[in-house]
Amino acid sequence: MLRFLARRFLWFVITISTVMTVSFFLMHSVKGGPFDGERKLDPVIEANIKARYHLDWPLWRQYLQYVGPFNLDDQRALAAFDEEGGFSLWRSEDAAGEPTRAFGGVLTGDFGPSFRYKDFTVNDILEESLPISALLGVLSMMFAIALGVSAGIASALRPGSGLDLTLRIAATGGIALPNFVIASFLVILFVFLIPLLPVAGWGTIQHMLLPGFCLGLVFAAYIARLTRTGMLETLSADYIRTAHAKGLAPRTVVMRHALKGGLLPVVSYLGPATAGILTGSLVIEKIFFIPGTGSHFINAATNRDYTLAMGVTILFTVLVYTLNTVVDMAYTLLDPRITLEDE
Amino acid sequence: MPILDVQNLRVRFETHHGVVRAVDGVSFSLEEGETLGLVGESGSGKSVTNLALMGLIPSPPGVVEADAMRFEDRDLMALSDEELRSVRGNEISMIFQDPMTSLNPLLTVGRQLTEVLEVHERVSRREARTRAAAGLADVGIPEPERRLDQYPHELSGGMRQRVMIAMGLLCRPKILLADEPTTALDVTIQAQILELMQKLQHEYGTAIILVTHDLGVVAGMSDRVNVMYAGRLAETAGAIELFDDPRHPYTRGLLGSVPRLSGDTDADLDSIKGSPPDLADLPAGCAFRPRCTFETERCAVEAPPLFDLGGGRSSACLERDALGQPHGGAQ
Amino acid sequence: MSDAPQDSRWSIDEAELARLTKEARQFKGESLWSDAWRRLRRNRAAFLALLFLAAFAGISLLAPFLPLPSPKAISLRDEPGTPEWVWSVPAAPTKAPDRGAATTRATRNLWNDGWRHRSTIILGAQDEAAAEAARARVQEVSSRGAVVEVYPAAEGEGLQAYASVPMTEGDAPQVDYGPTGIAGTASCWEVLTPGDPEPTGAVHSLRLTGADGAAFDVGQVAGWSVEARGASIRLFLSRAEPLPGLGDWVVAYRLSTELDALPTAVLLNGSLLPGSAAVSWGGEPSGAQTVDAELLEGVEAMDLGRRVAASLAASPIDGVTYMETRHEDGYWEFKGLVGAMDRALRRARIATFGLWQTGNWMGTDGQGRDLLARIVWGSRTSIIVGIIASLCSLLIGVLYGAFSGYMGGRIDNLMMRIVDVLYSIPFIFVVIFLITVVNEYRTELEDQFGIDREKIFFLVIGAIYWLTMARVVRGQVLSLKNTEFIEAARVIGASTTRILLSHVVPNVLSIVIVYLTLTIPAVMLFEAFLSFLGLGIEPPKVSWGLLAVDGTQAINPIKIYWWLVVFPAGAMGSTLLALNILGDGLRDALDPKLRGKN
Repeated sequence: MLRFLARRFLWFVITISTVMTVSFFLMHSVKGGPFDGERKLDPVIEANIKARYHLDWPLWRQYLQYVGPFNLDDQRALAAFDEEGGFSLWRSEDAAGEPTRAFGGVLTGDFGPSFRYKDFTVNDILEESLPISALLGVLSMMFAIALGVSAGIASALRPGSGLDLTLRIAATGGIALPNFVIASFLVILFVFLIPLLPVAGWGTIQHMLLPGFCLGLVFAAYIARLTRTGMLETLSADYIRTAHAKGLAPRTVVMRHALKGGLLPVVSYLGPATAGILTGSLVIEKIFFIPGTGSHFINAATNRDYTLAMGVTILFTVLVYTLNTVVDMAYTLLDPRITLEDE
Repeated sequence: MPILDVQNLRVRFETHHGVVRAVDGVSFSLEEGETLGLVGESGSGKSVTNLALMGLIPSPPGVVEADAMRFEDRDLMALSDEELRSVRGNEISMIFQDPMTSLNPLLTVGRQLTEVLEVHERVSRREARTRAAAGLADVGIPEPERRLDQYPHELSGGMRQRVMIAMGLLCRPKILLADEPTTALDVTIQAQILELMQKLQHEYGTAIILVTHDLGVVAGMSDRVNVMYAGRLAETAGAIELFDDPRHPYTRGLLGSVPRLSGDTDADLDSIKGSPPDLADLPAGCAFRPRCTFETERCAVEAPPLFDLGGGRSSACLERDALGQPHGGAQ
Repeated sequence: MSDAPQDSRWSIDEAELARLTKEARQFKGESLWSDAWRRLRRNRAAFLALLFLAAFAGISLLAPFLPLPSPKAISLRDEPGTPEWVWSVPAAPTKAPDRGAATTRATRNLWNDGWRHRSTIILGAQDEAAAEAARARVQEVSSRGAVVEVYPAAEGEGLQAYASVPMTEGDAPQVDYGPTGIAGTASCWEVLTPGDPEPTGAVHSLRLTGADGAAFDVGQVAGWSVEARGASIRLFLSRAEPLPGLGDWVVAYRLSTELDALPTAVLLNGSLLPGSAAVSWGGEPSGAQTVDAELLEGVEAMDLGRRVAASLAASPIDGVTYMETRHEDGYWEFKGLVGAMDRALRRARIATFGLWQTGNWMGTDGQGRDLLARIVWGSRTSIIVGIIASLCSLLIGVLYGAFSGYMGGRIDNLMMRIVDVLYSIPFIFVVIFLITVVNEYRTELEDQFGIDREKIFFLVIGAIYWLTMARVVRGQVLSLKNTEFIEAARVIGASTTRILLSHVVPNVLSIVIVYLTLTIPAVMLFEAFLSFLGLGIEPPKVSWGLLAVDGTQAINPIKIYWWLVVFPAGAMGSTLLALNILGDGLRDALDPKLRGKN
């Protein structure tokens, strides 16, 4: 187990470093910067801003500053390392008595200041928007699993029937339409035609229903398909015949013998599903005006708010990677034939 | 009084290729404690017969009909689903060919054993576990307590088959239907398993219907033998009589194709010419006719019925008497 | 076995052989493909899906032939709009009025030049006769058949005559710039004047000096602009008084690209040009950079509007005044080899239907564009994007996966590790980065390499979807490497090429086809997604993604423009549904063992 986790961590480090480095240098080497907007700034102000965000430093130094863990702007931090003892870990003061920090950068969990929202740091923005996106994501996932698994089982138990056919077409339909189209339909239906739900915003249960549904629908469809095929395959296995031959009730056969094996593909799908939910949230948040992390990302990328864009990217990569690892571990718990060392 | 009496069992599958008559009018009976061998090549209908007895033929493509299918005093055809379920695993058990795929890889061995007891005998989990361990010990598995918590893939092939046998015999059924129990095993293990089955049969008094294509297995274990071809009975006889004096060309062919250690070891093997029949498209008359060396014109007219030869023997061949002549006997 | 087998056992007679072969063929089919085809046919849903897609592709292909209204053209009356559901609104007249011989010639001329662009001269006319006279004059000046539509004047009395001719080269205003032979240098330096705070950045300004040291005299300059064009930077100076009959932009200078930023201030003959600002301090130049400059002469052709105006000025018609000229793009240009088929289709359309076009059967959108036409034309874009991007990903994925599987061992391990790493990156973010980055360089890429946004799109999408393909192909190659029939083939002495061609390729091909059919809808969805975020296909091109986006924007509490959502969603949904069903069907048909595996 430890070896497994160690190996996973190693690749995690490699992945994150690659993502960070590539995105960083990509963004910074594009001509124009975050402040080359439509209005031309007063060059003095522009210069000040550049100084504040260290845009005048050479790229490698900007990169190190971004990654951390040392705040290269803090002379005392650098100096403090030469002396022994007596420096406070997190705060020190500069010549004017203004507090500066000796440490900073991504490695300390600080994603830096936002280029766009001048009074906020990326951490502030993330703190505010992440819980919202997380709630939305969790809701969608729960919905997707509940709907998908039940539909899949119902389908598998009566293959070829009308119910099965309807569910299969519905599932394929859920995959075939982009989620914002479905969102439009549903908004027309439930917000305008039958005024049941609010059209935008966030706060109450009603606000969460429609976005959660739209986001989770496509994954429910995939899960339904996976469950159906998994269950069908399992149900046609020899050991199911043995279970029947032992005189077990049909329901017991399905629940105890078939379900575990049939749901295995769903478990391994949960990793890609999370990544998909993160992706889909970009659009859903935009449509329903939900102040989540996803909607911030698009603006950040187009406005070249480097730090915010990269912060979101790194965060999401970490999330997806962690979840994939958890899923892999869970898989070995479910299927005793597979061990962690089978990597 | 036989504990099992089957009259005119017919099983057909309705597919888009046509109607496949897997079993076409098979009748036999089984006495208490005896071993009946059911022999035939692939596609002869032997496995389907067993499954039909248990009611395990999948219903949309399959249709099961019989004049009677009596087990002790009950008609298996007339039982409701619930009643049938209480018979399965309890009074009539079945074990299958490939224990790797026939055991659930995701459940422990113990769980698969205890659930049989829980369903049929209403015992507590603890007692079920004890009896399961005892069952494993009975089939010769060492350290049975430890094995209960293992998964099927952690056991060897022979041990898995022993587990299957233990599972089948846990409730001391009256009949054990064994569907090619040794086919998937190594030859040395085969012998062990067969010995085990015989021992347990004597201990518990279980009747066994042993389905196989391997004549050696049949010879070792059966009291009586039914030979099936193309869904029908070709010949029935006591085991010894069958090997001594086969009365059906198919049986003759089967016996003749067994390699022997004595006699002319350089001679070619006698194989039955032709290939197994397509059950959806059987020829007119006797199904074996295209491959038969004794056929005559009248064999093409109509499929011969099962003629009673007396003494518990029967044969479905128009030339059965000719086969009984000294020079027609097997070597 | 010294004796040749003489027994009848071993010989099979002709009839028997024939019977057996026939029997075998019945069940096995003659090859993997015919077998698969038969199985696919039996799967009714998949077969229907295939037919649907084939019909769809046919319609899409024939788009230039169908007599649909233009997906691009704005209605002549140019009323900005609300989307119209025309079945509840009386249809606008779409048939050109019959003006006799002129119409016929117009049709023929349309046929000749293609209904590519239309030049419309708008003239004020006092009555019908004047309108007809105006049309005749336009016809004469342009030497093409002209068609006129008459409307009441926007203000006041009288009529407006919209005279249209098929557009050709020279109709639209155009200026050609050529070197004059007068060359010199331009100096760029930081201009500073007292009083301002110390500048922190570089500011360029321009001083132009002739080869003989004298400054160029361009007269009164009204404004200037700088454009990067290809490998050079051009400075355009517009005169305060445009010459009669000629355009505004007369003077141009070509500067070399040694300037590393475009000029933000222009000094001409010592003074700042209007519209430029220079931060300055001190009044003294602080450093100079000199680049070559060449004076260009702009020659403007007399465009059609001006010619008509000139003709009316020279010999006026009673009651007719020239108002303005418009150039409308009816359809996109069909260039090159691929465009040749489309041009032929367009000619066929004119020949068959003339100028007639269907009404707006599916309503219009907010800019008056017909929805049905946009759906049909959009399908072309979406399908092409889907296919090409999928093929890109296929190419990369198959090569990568086959190589990895074939090499096996450590190389295979490493390559698959890379795939795993890439897999765990949430690609959408990287894509958005990439596209935003690429947008910056769009003009350069387009000028220098001829790569437009779409091609980049294909590459970017291909770069995401190859991962699954690579994994799948590698798995297949690995399992094939060790299968018995490969061994068997080797044993009977088949060469490696033969093994590859007749055993490996067909098996890999089948799984590749299946995944291709499943990637295409994913790519189309992704394109819709990117278009929604503003990063995909851009107007004026149409794609289903854009249509879906338009649809979402049409939802508001006032009036629900349901047709903008329903029809594009229906088109997209049914196509993708069909593709998915077909993909599943192909998977079942090509290898029943694969059924259900994702």
